[in-house]
Amino acid sequence: MRAQSIAVATTLVGLVTLSACAGQSNTGGDGESGTEVAEGDSGTVSFRSWSPIEQTTMQMIEATEASTGAEIDATIFNYPEYIVDLQTRAGSGTLADVVGLQPGALTQQYRENLMPLQDCAEQTWGADWQDQFYPIGLDQARMGNPDGDDNFYALPLLTQTVNLWANSEILDEAGLEPPQTWDELTAAVDTLGEGSAVPFLLPAQDSWLRNVVFLQIANNVSPGTVYEAESGEIPWTDPRIVEAIGWWERLFTDGIAQEGAISLDAYPSGANQFEAGEAAMIPLGAWWIQQSDPSRESIPPLAEGMAGFEPFLFPTIPGGATEPQFVGGIDVALGISANASDPDLACAVLTDWIAGDGAQVLINTFNDIPAVTGVSPQEFTSEKQEEIWGLFVDEWLPQVEYSRYFEDPDIDKAVADALAAVATGEATPEEAAQSIQDAQDARR
Amino acid sequence: MSIAARDRLASVAFLLPTLGLFGVFVVYPIVFNVQASFLDWNGVTEGTTVGLSNYSTLWQDPIFRTTLRNSALWIPLTILPQAAIGFLLALALNGPLRGRSIYRALFFIPAVLSPVVIGIVWQRILDPSTGVLAQASRETGLGWLQTGVLADPQTAIFGVIAVNIWTWTGFSMLFYLAGLQLIDKNLLEAATIDGANPWQATWRITLPLLRNTHLSLLMLGVIGALKTFELIYVLTQAGPNNATQMLPTYAFEQAFRLQSVGYAGAISVVLVVLAVGTSLGMTRVFGSGFLSGADR
Repeated sequence: MRAQSIAVATTLVGLVTLSACAGQSNTGGDGESGTEVAEGDSGTVSFRSWSPIEQTTMQMIEATEASTGAEIDATIFNYPEYIVDLQTRAGSGTLADVVGLQPGALTQQYRENLMPLQDCAEQTWGADWQDQFYPIGLDQARMGNPDGDDNFYALPLLTQTVNLWANSEILDEAGLEPPQTWDELTAAVDTLGEGSAVPFLLPAQDSWLRNVVFLQIANNVSPGTVYEAESGEIPWTDPRIVEAIGWWERLFTDGIAQEGAISLDAYPSGANQFEAGEAAMIPLGAWWIQQSDPSRESIPPLAEGMAGFEPFLFPTIPGGATEPQFVGGIDVALGISANASDPDLACAVLTDWIAGDGAQVLINTFNDIPAVTGVSPQEFTSEKQEEIWGLFVDEWLPQVEYSRYFEDPDIDKAVADALAAVATGEATPEEAAQSIQDAQDARR
Repeated sequence: MSIAARDRLASVAFLLPTLGLFGVFVVYPIVFNVQASFLDWNGVTEGTTVGLSNYSTLWQDPIFRTTLRNSALWIPLTILPQAAIGFLLALALNGPLRGRSIYRALFFIPAVLSPVVIGIVWQRILDPSTGVLAQASRETGLGWLQTGVLADPQTAIFGVIAVNIWTWTGFSMLFYLAGLQLIDKNLLEAATIDGANPWQATWRITLPLLRNTHLSLLMLGVIGALKTFELIYVLTQAGPNNATQMLPTYAFEQAFRLQSVGYAGAISVVLVVLAVGTSLGMTRVFGSGFLSGADR
């Protein structure tokens, strides 16, 4: 009996001790709690992220350790595991010194745990440091900051456009050029439908892909309108947004997308099929150029120097903008923990990866487009690869005006769910728009 | 100190490591989730107490209702076919069949494969445009093979359930094989001498003697159904349009994608209540001995 009492008492004491943990914050240096120093010894910078991939990160580390003298302890996760790790570590005050972030909600959630980076940037690159970044990257780095807070809690490492890619060989065989208008798109799909390849492979299982395709359509229908709806200036039921959802619906009802598009994921299934030459067109983004990374162990013939691929913008929509709009933003950004054991060293590592020796190694792998101008791969494996690179860095990215992200994750989900409902015939464009508006109203 | 007191102390000392682990890995997460479920909290910054608001929101949330419906479908539609097919396979492979070890291994392989691999492979098989079945359909003219089961919100959950049955039937088979080998052969011989045909011997002797196996599989099936995550995450990402959303996938989405740890806590509490309630209910109805093989 006494033993039982002791056991029960021990358990209760344990429970009381352990409880009251949920709901507490572990904020940065100025906070009352969570003043533990981030993991890692002095001279060591810890880094956790989902991107770049591990092999590339290890090459970057080698270069950056040589140039900064830091010892870098990196852990690369798959994205779902990473966001669990990030949240858990932020909650327990053990955030890594340098962390991978995405703009908007994923940065804002950790704002109190992150160090403002503008001083670090200015000390490294000078007072005009912002001039070297693509404007969309800097805009998005502060996306969601409270009014009056102009701090940069993250700086972009890689940027991208979202766009379409064509299989040049399939289009050439059919005597087609990448479609520039909706009518050309439907005509191309009709022509290509006679072949064995899927004309327009839409891997719409992924919510992010549904959203970026929709944003391209919506901005081609009425540039910028969708962001006005997000900020509450106009309702989501605005006729221009309903029309944009209607054009999304036509991808499915007019037979442009392949059958069962809503059940195909972009990675690995969609990407594998496109790389294998089983599809003529696919919506992805600038990062597809990484398929031609010369350090890959084996490169499929189509991807060798981008021989078989070419990027193009989402076709214009009848009655919409006369030119395709540029949509894009940050691929991955980096932040520094407010509790970093050596903030100056962490700053040296972060800036080296963005625009130093580490960045050069990263860009040599064609992982994506750098956040800063003036960093190019040291070696191109074909003229076509160099042309495509030039198109992205010189022509498209400087023109990107519209974000590929929504600020609020609830709106992001509401849009993705609404698009899925339309794609599966469970909702009309009007009902879908209303469901997004309902989600926005619920947030308020 | 008396011997009795020393014995009591020793027993407490032996219990402490288990109690400690139980407290840290079972009790603490439950307490944490219960506490979080009363908060509006993103998991990082200071939470705000909202009372029962997360629970009241739950009952109005159509996606949450979908998760409950899917769990209600998942439990019988996976457990019964898995048990039935597993039992028939076990019966077939318990006899003097040539190459039965190879067959046993083949049927069990899906159970040891990663759900990620299974999800990717089945997505490629079922894809109605370029999948293996779609290509077979084109080659053979059998149109019904070209199924968009995962693309239709009305059928997607059944597609995932079918893949789950394929994955875990070998596991049921193994359980039944172990159970069959524990049955005293004299009982079956006596039944045969008394005139029982194979069907009667199976129905009247073998099946009742496998009671503990049935119940163990039922318990494991219910727990497995309630914690289903990886297969859905890879195969459908809980879509299309949340049609295959289950309690764990929805809790994950709320906690880590939508940054609503408080709401995810409420979902998790419902999950815990369902799991504990089901386990206690089964123990109450069938007795606690079925897992250990002891009499009721």
